[in-house]
Amino acid sequence: MGNKVIKRINLTIVLVILTIFSLGVLYPLVYVVSAAFSPGNSIASLSIIPFGDGFTLEHFTHLFNNTNYLIWFKNTLIIALWTSILTIIVASLGAYVFSRFSFTMKKSMMLLMLILQIFPSFVGMVAIYVILLRIKGLDTLWGLVLVYLAGNIPYNTWMVKSYVDTIPKSLDESARIDGANHLHIFRKIIMPIARPIIVFLGITSFTAPWMDYIFPKMILRSADKQTLALGLFSFVTDKKNEFTVFAAGALLVAIPFIIFFIITQKTMVTSFGNAAVKE
Amino acid sequence: MNTRLKEDGSSRKQILITSMLFMGLGHIVHFKQYIKGLFYALFEVLILFMLPTILRKLNDMVTLGIMKPDLPVKERDHSIFMLIDGVIVLAILFIFVVVYIISVKSALAEYKEFCIDKRLKTNKESISRALGKSFPIFGLAPSVGLILFFVVVPLIFSACVAFTNYSAPNNIPPNNTVDWVGMDNFVAMFGGEAVWTSALGRVALWTIVWAVLATATCYFGGLIMAVVLMDNKLKFAPIFRGVFILPYAVPSVVSMLVWQNLLNGSFGTVNRTLMQLGWIDKAIPWLSNEWLAKFTTILINLWAGFPYFMLLVTGTMTAISADLYEAARIDGANKFQVFKKITLPMVLYQTMPLIIMSFTHNINNFGAIFFLTGGNPVVSDSTITSAGGTDILVTWIYKLTVNLMKYNYASVLAIMIFIILAPFAIFQFRRTKSYKEGEF
Repeated sequence: MGNKVIKRINLTIVLVILTIFSLGVLYPLVYVVSAAFSPGNSIASLSIIPFGDGFTLEHFTHLFNNTNYLIWFKNTLIIALWTSILTIIVASLGAYVFSRFSFTMKKSMMLLMLILQIFPSFVGMVAIYVILLRIKGLDTLWGLVLVYLAGNIPYNTWMVKSYVDTIPKSLDESARIDGANHLHIFRKIIMPIARPIIVFLGITSFTAPWMDYIFPKMILRSADKQTLALGLFSFVTDKKNEFTVFAAGALLVAIPFIIFFIITQKTMVTSFGNAAVKE
Repeated sequence: MNTRLKEDGSSRKQILITSMLFMGLGHIVHFKQYIKGLFYALFEVLILFMLPTILRKLNDMVTLGIMKPDLPVKERDHSIFMLIDGVIVLAILFIFVVVYIISVKSALAEYKEFCIDKRLKTNKESISRALGKSFPIFGLAPSVGLILFFVVVPLIFSACVAFTNYSAPNNIPPNNTVDWVGMDNFVAMFGGEAVWTSALGRVALWTIVWAVLATATCYFGGLIMAVVLMDNKLKFAPIFRGVFILPYAVPSVVSMLVWQNLLNGSFGTVNRTLMQLGWIDKAIPWLSNEWLAKFTTILINLWAGFPYFMLLVTGTMTAISADLYEAARIDGANKFQVFKKITLPMVLYQTMPLIIMSFTHNINNFGAIFFLTGGNPVVSDSTITSAGGTDILVTWIYKLTVNLMKYNYASVLAIMIFIILAPFAIFQFRRTKSYKEGEF
């Protein structure tokens, strides 16, 4: 009997600790939500109690009417979509070739890719800038997509290749006997089986551009080519502090992300598990 | 020349010589594979045609241009364009050499088959074979092209810059030229100039400490949460898990900028709250005291980073067989013993590669530092080196490039990152399945 009471107390303590942690985790998020709906501009004027200043939608109307928020959102969405689609195509095609064919220099190419992925891509940003200048890719969205795509390939090709390696080769061979060509095998056999890792790849390469700052800053100049990260950052620079507007804008980006993550939580857990085991 | 081939393998030398003489010649002369041979030959003709340009570009790369102060700025030699063009030309030449080797190898392979079949392949055969064999080329062409021009060339360029004096104020094209200076930058950074040397030591040390602590705190934070929440007696576990995932779902730029504002020394909400509660008298310099700022970055990184490992560990834990736990329970093991003897070793083993990846990610974790502290606070050498108290190597590289335009020193740092991370890349390589299975 005593044992049971102790267990009960233990469980309660754990619950209390978890609740405190939850509050710590939620604190900044709740505060952003409240700031987005609070009157005033800078964070200094906000009440320390969330939602303590009243309620207003003026920051949202300000975002839509007086700033380029919608354009930033559209640009970022375009960049993220294209980066994600092209990364899936290029990386999985490369992974299929690396997994199923043997050819000259295969070994050195794979080792090179593994070494390349340890560098943050902005180490070469001066050269990337000049190359984009040469191919007229500066201040364009596709220039930025190319840079992201190239940066994504080395690691992701390896990741998908490791997964494709686990698909039995007998599947391809039986299809080849039935007269299927390589492209057909890739599309109809490999891609469907490799779906978990493709989904994972799609999600990670879709989310990354939303948070990137350096390359958009370097490549995109004109006002109608800005991305969300650039736009949001401009609200909270040293020169001006429009924290409430920033919060409103950030909220609009974060909400779709959060909903998406909560819905796909289960898939993510298994995909992560897969990514860990299959590597 | 006698183009008849002997079937006993003795014509190997002859093939080798013809195919080395001109790209594709072997295919045309010996195997009557005109299309394939012509493609090879065309490539070589193209390169030969561009040879004067190639040589000029390579020469430019060596000289990096000469000062022409009398000319208008637009017509002066632009050293950086010259250097990048040189690297690109080298990349193209490299491709050429590789294709050349492939062409010779393919001619020899063709001959081997000839010796076995005792006849040349018909046109139809060789075309259908070529189509099948060319799939890897088409499949890899986009990857190779993109990686070559947007990853390899920039990195080689950046490595080259470490051996030049490309830096403000005196060597910024197009007004001035840039020159090769050998190891000067390395000498300056490693002992030559005291300010830079001490800044480098400080930043490099902090980068490693940061990466270790950031990875360890997030990993164990996530592990503990995953284990606690896996307990099936716990009520509301899914709700807690849902809450704890939130930081991972929020874009990191957003959350770091929010924290930066919340923790601001003078008007930040955290300090104002603590003051109104009466817990502190004067503002805590979360981000403006060097040591406290270091602590804060790790703490906030824990906030942002533990959900990832929580998800990961939860994923791996569900894969641990329930029989194992059942057996332990029957043997009378308590919860802590089960955790120590079963869960922890299993999870550690499974997630080890991802811990290492996370470590290398943290070495390069630009966002977690730049958007939270901007590398600040300012320390004694910051005015000269621009490296603040929480700057890690990558954020320092960014500042050197964007603010100070000292590209040469930035490149030295990039090489340092390479030296730190290369062992991890090799380790990662050696534990891949394909390496273990002797594919290499």
